[in-house]
Amino acid sequence: MSDDSTPLSIEVTDVTVAYTNGNVALRDTTFSLHSGTVCALVGVNGSGKSTLFKVIMGFLKPAKGTVSIGGRPVKEAQKRNLVAYVPQSEEVDWTFPVSVWDVVMMGRYGSMNFLRIPREEDRRIVKESLERVGMSEFKDRQIGELSGGQKKRVFLARALAQRGRIMLLDEPFTGVDVKTETAIIDLLEELREDGHIILVSTHNLGSVPEFCDRVVLVNRTVLASGPTAQIFTEENLAKAFGGVLRHFKFDHTDLPGSARNEVLLLSDDERPLLLGHDGAPKRSGVGTKTGPLVEDSRK
Amino acid sequence: MMDSLLVPFQYEYMVKAILLSGLIGAVCAFLSCFITLKGWSLMGDALSHAIVPGVAVASIFGLPFSLGAFVAGLLAAVGMGWVKHRSRLREDAVIGVVFTTWFALGVLLLSVFPSSINLRTIVFGNILGISDQDIVQVVCIAGLSLGVLLVKWRDLLVYCFDASHARSLGMNTTFLHFLLLALLSATAVAAMQTVGAVLVVAMLVTPGATAYLLTDRFGRMIILATGMGLFCGIAGAYASYFLDGSTGGCIVVLQTCLFLIALVLAPKHGLLAARARRREARAVAGALAPSMPKGPQPPSSSLSA
Amino acid sequence: MDWLEPFRYSFMVDAMLIGALVGTVCAVLSCYLVLKGWSLMGDAISHAVLPGVVGAYLLGLPLAVGAFVTGLLCATATGWVKANTRIKEDTVMGIIFTGLFALGLVMFTKVQTDVHLNHILFGNILGIERSSKIQTLVAAILTLAIVLTLRRDLLLYCFDPTHARTIGLNTQVLYYLLLALLAGTIVAALQAVGILLVVAMLITPGCIAHLLTDRFDRMLIVAALSSIFSCVAGVYVSFFLDAAPGASMVLVQALLFALAFVFAPRHGLIASRRVRG
Repeated sequence: MSDDSTPLSIEVTDVTVAYTNGNVALRDTTFSLHSGTVCALVGVNGSGKSTLFKVIMGFLKPAKGTVSIGGRPVKEAQKRNLVAYVPQSEEVDWTFPVSVWDVVMMGRYGSMNFLRIPREEDRRIVKESLERVGMSEFKDRQIGELSGGQKKRVFLARALAQRGRIMLLDEPFTGVDVKTETAIIDLLEELREDGHIILVSTHNLGSVPEFCDRVVLVNRTVLASGPTAQIFTEENLAKAFGGVLRHFKFDHTDLPGSARNEVLLLSDDERPLLLGHDGAPKRSGVGTKTGPLVEDSRK
Repeated sequence: MMDSLLVPFQYEYMVKAILLSGLIGAVCAFLSCFITLKGWSLMGDALSHAIVPGVAVASIFGLPFSLGAFVAGLLAAVGMGWVKHRSRLREDAVIGVVFTTWFALGVLLLSVFPSSINLRTIVFGNILGISDQDIVQVVCIAGLSLGVLLVKWRDLLVYCFDASHARSLGMNTTFLHFLLLALLSATAVAAMQTVGAVLVVAMLVTPGATAYLLTDRFGRMIILATGMGLFCGIAGAYASYFLDGSTGGCIVVLQTCLFLIALVLAPKHGLLAARARRREARAVAGALAPSMPKGPQPPSSSLSA
Repeated sequence: MDWLEPFRYSFMVDAMLIGALVGTVCAVLSCYLVLKGWSLMGDAISHAVLPGVVGAYLLGLPLAVGAFVTGLLCATATGWVKANTRIKEDTVMGIIFTGLFALGLVMFTKVQTDVHLNHILFGNILGIERSSKIQTLVAAILTLAIVLTLRRDLLLYCFDPTHARTIGLNTQVLYYLLLALLAGTIVAALQAVGILLVVAMLITPGCIAHLLTDRFDRMLIVAALSSIFSCVAGVYVSFFLDAAPGASMVLVQALLFALAFVFAPRHGLIASRRVRG
């Protein structure tokens, strides 16, 4: 379905979204993404991440501003199956009587005829997609009988089968085992090489620099967007997370020699466990208030 | 003995009733697969009550009853959607308010303007006394609904399973939503003739739920449910001749019995299968840790959640 | 036309009084049902009452007893099936209540009774017999007394069952209590509006009150007042229209709902439109 001749891009310009009760979910949001990128969408709960997804998918009409995909309106991108979406696990009814194969086949429906009868090519694509996420042997399982990581991979396979060149992943790493997490990251990197645009919403800060080349920081608007190295600074993160961010203060003696003076740990919702040289757990001084993120230990 | 079993077929009205019940049972059962999975049972109940004022108005003005019923059903559905969107009330409460209002309006109209249609007929159906003109209407509605379902079932499946995905595929989900509502109204109108407005919801829920207990594949679920709807329609109407009881009541009691049988005996999701699995698990656990306390834990109050 | 004419007939006055009492009980319960999302439960129990009524007639018991028993049976069976299968609760409820209703219908056509099916289905508030009147009164007053005594416990249970449990309330008991109260209310309302319309009395007053106020105690009062008004006005209007009184009561209530929906000071259509600007 995807037409490779059009240059791929997402342009969000000056978008404001208001709900019927008058609350503004996003205000004057602007950013753009171009072919071959894995971009993290980072923000606290309620910062407008899912609203932004809905706008890009065309489920919500912005009160102001425009969203264009490959230079065309969202509606057209929808018709051409350009945007694939991998939902959060909680959004899915896992008791539904469909098998893994059925779910992935649903990715093909957009490019089938009126009766949605699969052709040979559709079967081949579904098979390939399942192989690519390593789920071929589970193809006849009912979806509720899978583990958390397997469930995630099935929906990723559906997005692959859809051949959408833009993929939106909503919190893909929650409730997922380490093996699946690495597999997903590898797959995303392959897709980036193929020129896809991948937008991943996450509050798992630690993994962002690992696989995302760009970051969009949101809190009711876009606070900053650009290459990870430039955007993922303490200053920006403090803006995005405000008082919610935890920061950790290290006692010099807890740190291995080489790391001394160089460690700053940021996390928005989990406390890391720190182990000293002797392997004994250390207490980290945790402050949850807004404060100077630059710690004394860095001087 | 054999002769007495064939007696119902000697009467033309019985043959008509049996065939028509089977057809309507099958169409409703097909739709019931979507209704049960989407969690729209209350909606089915609501729409089947909400068509009553339409029938009343149609009979007062001498219009075809199905037209009035269908319009009333759709109006109620749209009204529910609108009130839900515009108020802070929960969806189930809004559905309740709207459909009871609609139903009461129908009852009031029929009590104020006594007409050719009896309230009893609407509420309990009267398949044995159905007129030829009504048969044509019902067959048309059922046939059309069945046709639409056969063509569009995969789209409806995707919509019920994951509406966001359906949208990202470029499907018109608003259209699918209203298509499902329209199918629900149409089948409710058809089923009202057989089992009556009050029991329509059984035809729209029970076969789907029974099939859901028996299989994990949607395609098979449709086949099982439709087969069951067909069988119960035919057998229920046939049995009502001997019981001299209400046709609708017989059909629905039969469906409920099949549901109960499936509930107990279904190979994977039945109560007996679940008990066997629990026992097995306990045996394994017992072998691993003989000191574990015996007996199952009392189920937590998942009801109250 | 003489506007006071209805009040000269004792059956009209009786009907209004009973309507007001039944309306109060239903309204109080409806506040809980609306907040807990149990509208379908009210619908289900009210239909499931039918085989109980027929069965009680066969056994020579008071109809209210049979009705109460099958009403509760429907609710408990629903809870049990739901806990033991993967079928959604609303579907289970739909199956069980229609099954019971159909059973009642088949029983009814087989048994010669002097109970009018129409009276059970649509109520017979203008012609309630003395014995039924007593049953209605007992059921209504008992239910009302229990709800009002335990209203805070029930509220906590509806709002946050987990919390109710942690502070030592027995949520299992509260769950069944609420079901029993619901069944009791339906039994009380049976004679007045009938089993097909009682669900309206169990949903609409709570919705009206929920649109008008944000405090639960006030919600109870608003619901009760709106319900009493609709019952009295409904019976009164039905006298002049020569219409089914149960249906008129429900329609007056619906009218109040429409007014609240549009004009409610904070949550109404006009008010929220103004907020959005």
